[in-house]
Amino acid sequence: MKEKEGFIDYPEQQVILYVEKEDGQFGPMQTGSYISANFIDDFRNKRIALEIELRNQLISNLISPVRFYMVLEELTLSELSARSGICKSTVRKHLDPGGFAKATVKDLEHYARVFNISPANLLQVIMVHDGEQMVSQAIPENKIHTLSIHHSTTQNPFIVLTNIEEKK
Amino acid sequence: MVIPDFTHKMSAHCESGALTSLLNHAGLEISEPLVFGIASGVFFGYFHKAKAFPFPTFIVRNKPGQMRRNIEKRLGVEFAEYRFKDPALGMSRLDELISRNIPTACQVDFFYLDYVPSWERVHINVHFMIVIGKEEQQYIVSDAYFPQIMKLDERSLEKGRFAGGNMSPEGFLFHTRSVPEKIDLETAIRKGIKKACFNMLSIPMPFLGVKGIRMFARKVTEWPNFARDTEHLSHEIMKINILLEDQGTGGAGFRFMYATFLQQASSILRLPTLKDLSQELMLIGDGWREISLFAARIGKNRDLGAEKLGQLGAMIAGRADAEENFFRKLSKVVH
Repeated sequence: MKEKEGFIDYPEQQVILYVEKEDGQFGPMQTGSYISANFIDDFRNKRIALEIELRNQLISNLISPVRFYMVLEELTLSELSARSGICKSTVRKHLDPGGFAKATVKDLEHYARVFNISPANLLQVIMVHDGEQMVSQAIPENKIHTLSIHHSTTQNPFIVLTNIEEKK
Repeated sequence: MVIPDFTHKMSAHCESGALTSLLNHAGLEISEPLVFGIASGVFFGYFHKAKAFPFPTFIVRNKPGQMRRNIEKRLGVEFAEYRFKDPALGMSRLDELISRNIPTACQVDFFYLDYVPSWERVHINVHFMIVIGKEEQQYIVSDAYFPQIMKLDERSLEKGRFAGGNMSPEGFLFHTRSVPEKIDLETAIRKGIKKACFNMLSIPMPFLGVKGIRMFARKVTEWPNFARDTEHLSHEIMKINILLEDQGTGGAGFRFMYATFLQQASSILRLPTLKDLSQELMLIGDGWREISLFAARIGKNRDLGAEKLGQLGAMIAGRADAEENFFRKLSKVVH
């Protein structure tokens, strides 16, 4: 690839490409990410649509919060089991609302660690008004304009402080 | 504190970039493409069904960690390596190393790195970055994917280092212990090329090397069977672009970086044929880039019928033929 073909104006995500320079030498160039520059909105929209679809299934009691986050974070059953330390057959049960009801608090702590959320968020969906519509905070891509929500962990692994502030 | 004299440099790939930065810091002037080539980094593997992946996927480099082992073996460099069962011990050892001004590479799950934009974060246990300091509860990090030095919360780093699952990092740390005064670059390059050719042509597995590219070409038409719906299929098809271009490959699934290595190797070994082959690989890489652009376009347009996927498969099959021919020629040059 020639150097001029590699140039993408996208400062938000920079990558290194190896290209052919004008003198015929191959070497690195720092440029913007092609996929982010051209398709990031499509990625975001697909992810938001998936989150809405899964959330509707979650609040209709068709899936458990474990399945909700497992699908969103693109984990397999085996991978979630290995990461959480909970055996595969138990994780499989926890994917459905009936089985999830039998999960222990310790199980929730393990799942929350893998999903990088507070245990509290396995039992709640926080919705925020973004000026035009209500959006959930389950995935950070949602553009929440007016409010900032921040979870602070505490010494108690099961208790999280949720701070909701109006953005200045 | 921040380790003095450490130069942060953005690189194409996290592992070859971290290795290059550590070697440069230890006084060995070597480029990322040379590290990548000597380490036989170029590869291909296709995974149609694997427990760790929720969807068929492919890799374009050798096994994570293998680059470090190959560099140790071929350059005679010695790395100190540490793995931990106890996270507290793993974190305190890291603190101790950086307090002794030793830049230390960590293996982490990319998902827990706070400084990465949320939409880029995925669970992948084989990201490498270098810790070069600590200020209060935050580590100072040289991550090859970012133009500047980053900061990472202590808890996030611990989560990333001790994530479980496939290729779990187990708190893995490494740093340069010694670099030999004299390095036989010529032999190292020849060995690196021979192994890369073997990996691409001769591993007796139908999903690895050139055979893996062929399998990818055949199986991509079956991807709709694995997708929840069109949106999901579109997401996975567009990920072909990310895996080839954006996920730290230097473009065209590492083929551009390997072409750069061959050009540099041509000067070191005084073998003009390698320069011709480097140009040929650059063109093969352009073909891979066409595939990634095509995948992004049909994914965006949701134009994912059998005809378009067949077209995509044919383009991939074209790369298999080109790479088989290329690596056969390359293997003859270094024998």
